Amino acid sequence: MGSESLAEFELLVMLAALRLGPNEAYTVSIVEDIRGRTGRSVRRANVFTALRRLEEKGLVSTRLGDPRPERGGRPPRLVAVTGEGAAAVHATTRAIQAMVGDLALGEARAAAGATESRG
Amino acid sequence: MSAPGWARWLLGRLAGADRVDEVLGDLEETHRDRVARRGRPLASVLTALETLDMAAALLREPRRGRRAFRTPARADIRSASRSKRAAVSWLDLKLGARMLSRYPGVTIVGGLAMMIGVGLGAGYLEIVNDFLHPNLPLEDGDRIVGVQTWDAAENDPELRTLHDFLVWRDEVASIQDLSAYRSIERNLGPTGGDAEPARGAEITPSAFRVTRVRALLGRPLIDEDGREGAPPVVVLGHRLWRSRFGGDAGIVGERVRLGASTGVVVGVMPEGFAFPVSHDFWTPLQVDALSYAPREGPPIRIFGRLAPGATLEEARAELTALGSRAAADLPATHEHLRPRVVPYTELFVGGGGSGRAYAVQFLFVVVLLILASNVATMVFARTATRENEIGVRFALGASRGRILAQLFAEALVLALAAAAIGVAIVAQGAGWVTRLFWQVTERETPFWLDGRLNPTTVLYALLLAVLAAVVAGVLPGLRATRPGLQTRLGHPAGASGSAMRFGGLWGAVIAVQVALAVLVLPPAIIAISALAEAERADAGFPTDEYLSARIELDPERPPADPSAGEEFAAAFEARYEELRRRLLEEPGVSGVTFATRLPGMDHPNPFVQVDSGGAGAGITAPRWVMSTSVDPTFFDAFGAGIVAGRGLRSGDAAADPPVVVVNETFVRQILRGRSAIGRRVRSTGRVPGPWQEIVGVVSDLGMDTDRDAFHPGRGPGIYHPLRRGDLAAGGSRSVRVAFHVRGDPAAFAPRLRELARAVDPSLRLYDVLPLDRPLDAGNRTQRLVARFASWTTALVGAIAVLISIAGTYSVMSFTVSRQTREIGIRIALGADRRRIVRAVFSRAMLQIGAGLLVGTAAWFYFMVYVLGGGDEIGLLVTTAGVLMLVGLAACGVPVRRALRIQPTEALREVG
Repeated sequence: MGSESLAEFELLVMLAALRLGPNEAYTVSIVEDIRGRTGRSVRRANVFTALRRLEEKGLVSTRLGDPRPERGGRPPRLVAVTGEGAAAVHATTRAIQAMVGDLALGEARAAAGATESRG
Repeated sequence: MSAPGWARWLLGRLAGADRVDEVLGDLEETHRDRVARRGRPLASVLTALETLDMAAALLREPRRGRRAFRTPARADIRSASRSKRAAVSWLDLKLGARMLSRYPGVTIVGGLAMMIGVGLGAGYLEIVNDFLHPNLPLEDGDRIVGVQTWDAAENDPELRTLHDFLVWRDEVASIQDLSAYRSIERNLGPTGGDAEPARGAEITPSAFRVTRVRALLGRPLIDEDGREGAPPVVVLGHRLWRSRFGGDAGIVGERVRLGASTGVVVGVMPEGFAFPVSHDFWTPLQVDALSYAPREGPPIRIFGRLAPGATLEEARAELTALGSRAAADLPATHEHLRPRVVPYTELFVGGGGSGRAYAVQFLFVVVLLILASNVATMVFARTATRENEIGVRFALGASRGRILAQLFAEALVLALAAAAIGVAIVAQGAGWVTRLFWQVTERETPFWLDGRLNPTTVLYALLLAVLAAVVAGVLPGLRATRPGLQTRLGHPAGASGSAMRFGGLWGAVIAVQVALAVLVLPPAIIAISALAEAERADAGFPTDEYLSARIELDPERPPADPSAGEEFAAAFEARYEELRRRLLEEPGVSGVTFATRLPGMDHPNPFVQVDSGGAGAGITAPRWVMSTSVDPTFFDAFGAGIVAGRGLRSGDAAADPPVVVVNETFVRQILRGRSAIGRRVRSTGRVPGPWQEIVGVVSDLGMDTDRDAFHPGRGPGIYHPLRRGDLAAGGSRSVRVAFHVRGDPAAFAPRLRELARAVDPSLRLYDVLPLDRPLDAGNRTQRLVARFASWTTALVGAIAVLISIAGTYSVMSFTVSRQTREIGIRIALGADRRRIVRAVFSRAMLQIGAGLLVGTAAWFYFMVYVLGGGDEIGLLVTTAGVLMLVGLAACGVPVRRALRIQPTEALREVG
């Protein structure tokens, strides 16, 4: 496959960074984006660590932005997805889509529930 | 609005230069957003939690030389196990945190025990430091010093030092602006309106230069105000200005009433300024006008600021030299006087007991060790259930030190969490206790108490937490990993049951706790119920129909010689007799009486001896009684019946030999029912008082409601006739008045003030209250202290019970679970269940029984033999019974579990 495959949380972070774009993606905005779209509670520390790991792998690059008053005059560290990162996102989502295929997920859930109650 | 300072500091320290902007900006942005959406309180909590989370993430950063973080997995545990190093790692702490939620019983009870232990130790240190070594919240406050004159012959401070002050003020070079003050109480208010007592200081104007605090309005006192013949002026404190003058911004230049005279307000000081201690107004101390001989005059306190460049030692040397010179020049008065320079606050609290106060700390360490050894019992039982895990670790090659380090880390997490809660409670409660302490000892709250936690206290709490963790984690760990055990532990599937056993030490610990609970709980219950009873104690008369007040008067100028004092005492008596006359003219008022103490108040309690009055039975041993001086109308005013002899008469104050009246309890307890009339009593002490003849016995009036927890409101009492000399209170005179009022006594209070003002505007009235309430600040504080002490005792007792139950439970649970197979097999073989139960219970009962026995014996020794109680044995039996039942219940659960085991299961485990 060649491209790095991403864990679920990393995938969410990468997708948020892609959606926000290189001028608006940073830890706080990524946390808000994931929280708003998935309804999951996301810890800022986890996003911070994930971004650090992704940067080490070369999947994202970072730079300091302009100082902002709402941040007490401090700049955010803006995140841009690298080419390699975009490839990893692509490979991971394709793998998921391939696995989902034409599987009807609603029926699958009902079937799984029935199996459990019998067991 | 911005994020908490500690969070910025913490993350700033951890983030490193390349990440600091990012991390702090994120913190700021998130916090501000939260404050806007959820309000400040919730936002602060959430930000605090997130900051700790972030801090943990930053600690795991590889940049700072730590291991790269991975999700902790079995691989981590394995690698931690393999390590031969004994150091505590981050992972150990994380595993320790996990243990807290896995064993909630140990966490809650153990955490509570450690919280109490660490909290007590840290709280004590905080209070001692706040009391003995406070920070003076003034500019360069540590350079303000006090000059105290010590009387080496009496071993007491000598405060009549005006003469010396004038000498020192001119000569001392190492202290600048040497100042003096004396506390005064004056009726203060608008000239036309109500003037009520306020506490102020007659102070040399230089004192305001010492404090370096500017006036909020107008000016402070200046040197001209202190010159002889200067117009009378006053500077008001912020609190007084707000309460009595409604914060009037135009007050400067106004004339106000000040005792018998008036004065012009020249300034108002800012909020919080109550220098020298807790003073609300300041007038100039005109020392130049006072020409007192050495060791005469009013008591004053002297202070100043160390001159630039001068040290405390230099000032000490200079004053010592001046002291030696005075001793040579004035040997009659100054031979034993030693001036000494002390940090300012030591003028009031003294520094002598400092060493002892810190030595008591050792006791708290012992308490912590006892509590921690309890937790060790529980931790040992828990460790035993983890034999397999420990065995696997040994098998993987972990050293003993490595495993001990992990057990220590687990206990440390618990201890640190407990210490954090303990310190938080101390932060809330210590200020309150210090203020109470001041109220009890000095009856005032000094301005320098700020209620903030000392950093030393936090460090000390950390130290105690580590100590507790060593006892609770390492000691059981040492037992659980004894070299002999390792080989067996290495085979976790071994079928022969556990290799671990509880030693006799744990049993002893449980026994000691049960004994402690027996000893502490009944007195605590008695004290609490006695306090509740004190609120309803029968005073012997309808307390809600009487109004009372304390009346005080100061001489305008401190008298220089004793004869002037006698004159002043006569003037005071004339004033209060005039007040009595005017009161009796009021409709609805009757039975006006004066006394030094009124029923229901805290009374002085001397020791007295009684002689047989010539009957040949000799003199009794000193006995403790309560005493008060009352005027002849006292018994009539409260409707106390004369049981034998007579009451007091107007000539009794001058009677020779002196006469007294005693109450019925005195006859019952001290004379054991024999006739009192004609017998003589005297107070004991270094110099015994004169013999006084008992001329009458009156029915009991509540003399004290708190002092004797076993018999609230009752006690042997002596009534002396009221003499002028009884009314001296420092330089001033003080007496209490009480009278019957038809209707609501509280509603009569304003009229009483009016009448007193009409008699003399400088008569001060305090605590104008109906007699059904705690009568003065002393009484209220005393009740507060009694309540605090008894609830604390009850709490300690309850926790001792809780911990001993938890200890018993964990030991029993452990022992029974070790015998489960054996029990199962015995049942399978047809053994009698009752016999099995008896065998299992006997050990626990032995421990609890031993504790009860020791506790009861100690109880009898202290309560019955030493303190002379005896009618509370029912309560003791009940407590012991309840403890026994609770102990049985603690054993019951594991035993039931063992009895329910199926024989087949038991046999399968053996196979």
